[in-house]
Amino acid sequence: MMELLPQALTDGILLGGIYITIAIAFSLTYGVMHVIDFAVGEWIMFGAFTGYYLNKWTGLDPFLFLPVIFVLYFGVGYVIQPVIHRVLSGTKGNPFLMGLVFTFGLAIMFRGLALTAFGFYSNSIPSAFSEGSFNLEPLGLTVTIPTVRLVGLGYALAITLILHYLLKKTNFGLGVRALAQHKDAAGLMGVNSKRTGSYVYGIYVGISAMTGVLLGCILSIGAQMGNEYTIFAFFVVVLAGMGYLAGVPWAALLLGLVQSIFMIYFNPSHTLLAVFAILYIILLISPRGLFGKGV
Amino acid sequence: MKFGFVRVLLLIAALFVAIPVHAEQRNFFKIGVITELSGDLVTGGNITKRGYDLWAQEVNAKGGIVIQGKKYPVKLVYADAQSNPAAGAAAAERLITQEKVDFILGPYSSGVTLAVAPVVDKYKIPMITGSAESPLIWKNKFKYTFGTIPPINFTGATSIKTLTEMKPAPKTIAIIGSNDAFSKATAESYKAAAEKAKLKIVKFSIVPSGQDMTPLLSAVRSMKPDIIAFGGHDEEHVKFVKALKQIGYTPKALLMHCGITDKAFIDAVGKDGEQIFGTTCWTGTAKTKCNVLWPNAAAYAAASQKAFNNPGDYTQGGCSAAGIAFQTALQKIGAKPGMDEATRTKLIQALEQIDVQTFYGRVKFATSGEFYHANVGLDPLTIQIQGGQVKTVGPKASVEAPAIYPMKEWKSR
Repeated sequence: MMELLPQALTDGILLGGIYITIAIAFSLTYGVMHVIDFAVGEWIMFGAFTGYYLNKWTGLDPFLFLPVIFVLYFGVGYVIQPVIHRVLSGTKGNPFLMGLVFTFGLAIMFRGLALTAFGFYSNSIPSAFSEGSFNLEPLGLTVTIPTVRLVGLGYALAITLILHYLLKKTNFGLGVRALAQHKDAAGLMGVNSKRTGSYVYGIYVGISAMTGVLLGCILSIGAQMGNEYTIFAFFVVVLAGMGYLAGVPWAALLLGLVQSIFMIYFNPSHTLLAVFAILYIILLISPRGLFGKGV
Repeated sequence: MKFGFVRVLLLIAALFVAIPVHAEQRNFFKIGVITELSGDLVTGGNITKRGYDLWAQEVNAKGGIVIQGKKYPVKLVYADAQSNPAAGAAAAERLITQEKVDFILGPYSSGVTLAVAPVVDKYKIPMITGSAESPLIWKNKFKYTFGTIPPINFTGATSIKTLTEMKPAPKTIAIIGSNDAFSKATAESYKAAAEKAKLKIVKFSIVPSGQDMTPLLSAVRSMKPDIIAFGGHDEEHVKFVKALKQIGYTPKALLMHCGITDKAFIDAVGKDGEQIFGTTCWTGTAKTKCNVLWPNAAAYAAASQKAFNNPGDYTQGGCSAAGIAFQTALQKIGAKPGMDEATRTKLIQALEQIDVQTFYGRVKFATSGEFYHANVGLDPLTIQIQGGQVKTVGPKASVEAPAIYPMKEWKSR
């Protein structure tokens, strides 16, 4: 069984790559807006269907449409954010809980809309990347790396690095970080919280929609697919520490590796039990996530 | 204080006592339908809906069900089980106590059916599920629940037997099932059949529903099984085929069940769906003959194509056949809409006695044993996707085309 270890680790890292793409922007939007967006899976689903139809209509590879999909969904997020901002900035009741309920409602509404608009069948997005794989047997390793999953990992790393650069090296990022730390103080320093929040939410929705295209190429798509990804996004972000962006890649990789190793070496039917037991233990020891830096 | 305590006790007791269902006078049959119209199993739920709708549409187009010379139309009242057994049970309560339906057409999934069956037993309302296949349903011997699709432990062995007759004969098999009532039962039925056929089982795993199975399939690949058999639902089938292709392993035969006979599966996976084997009990080309609603399978497939732009699969057909079974039993006892408990009991007896030829084949419910109230009138079929079409490749008496074995490598397609 030990000869399977290199493949188990490879599969775990590639699976972790998928989880990074699902959770990274979700973490960013929580860090800035302090809203747990339960509609994250639905943004992924809408992006997946947009990629599916663009591919169907044009016959071009769905990866070519990623910039278009980002711009389109950035616009959607930019327009919707003020509505969420209004819910979150209310003075009566508990705005945080209202935000949760609002995004939960959005998710249900989006799911129903998708069912009506796209139908109930599962589908798949064809891509040139889905065809091949790299076999490392000539190097003496019993490892196969599917091209499309490797592209997914590359995409995850690229998104992580771009977000890191944006947050750490630009004035916009300085404003975002200031807003995440203290909204009122950031406002006094000239950060326009409404506009910055709209940009951040737009970026988050745009990235989530692009992730949908990737997932449609690797796995499958359907009107009800979102719920599953919302759970994983939430899991990764909690494990990383709520709003702690730098922890997301590590938490995602840990989740992928645990799943992969457990599936191969232990009882696969208890994979999710193992994953949530680990989350529980980590939160018990470090309630603010893996690195103790969450909100 | 004491009086308050007594009232609470009475209230709790009331919750456990079935509210008697009073009959309503009406000139149409009011039929409750509980199925998965949202949630993870929405595809299957909507396929069952198509089957029930097509039956109702055809019955109403003919003026209704003829009872003692008078025609009574049918009206379907839907309740969404949300792919959740608890929601299914609550929906059954509502349909029975508030909508006062005459009888029920049952859910898509075995899990929801297992939750609804005790409710219909409690209220003594007959139900036929046109889809659920888990043997657990029939082992529980629910008096008021019937099913038109034979249980998977009745059908699954046929496909394994067909595969063992291939040349060169397969020697090893890996079996994987998703962790839900139906899929798990499918995997277990394949396991039992493989053991009987003396195939070496190199892997048997039940995995949580909806998971990415790539790591598990990587492990399976290292065991190089001749056959991989999978029990799951539609979306999982698409993921499964893609994962196998991504890791670059083509078994000699890939066997799956549920939904692969639907055109939508073939559309979703395209050329990768070619040569996949499946288990079913009906196809649109099955040689059936009857005189109720549709004369044969081809006529039903044509009607479905016209209504839904899809010829329908065995689940949809099973649901339409469930309607025909009720129709036949109602006519047999001359039951009119707004049935009382005594009539509903007679309906159960009539359902146990019917032996009817339909476009779906023979419908005959078992009245004892492990298949109690499941349809045992059908012969299971092994199918294979060839040229984008579903072809019957076994058993020998039903063969439409020779099986293609071993499967063509993914990369050479």
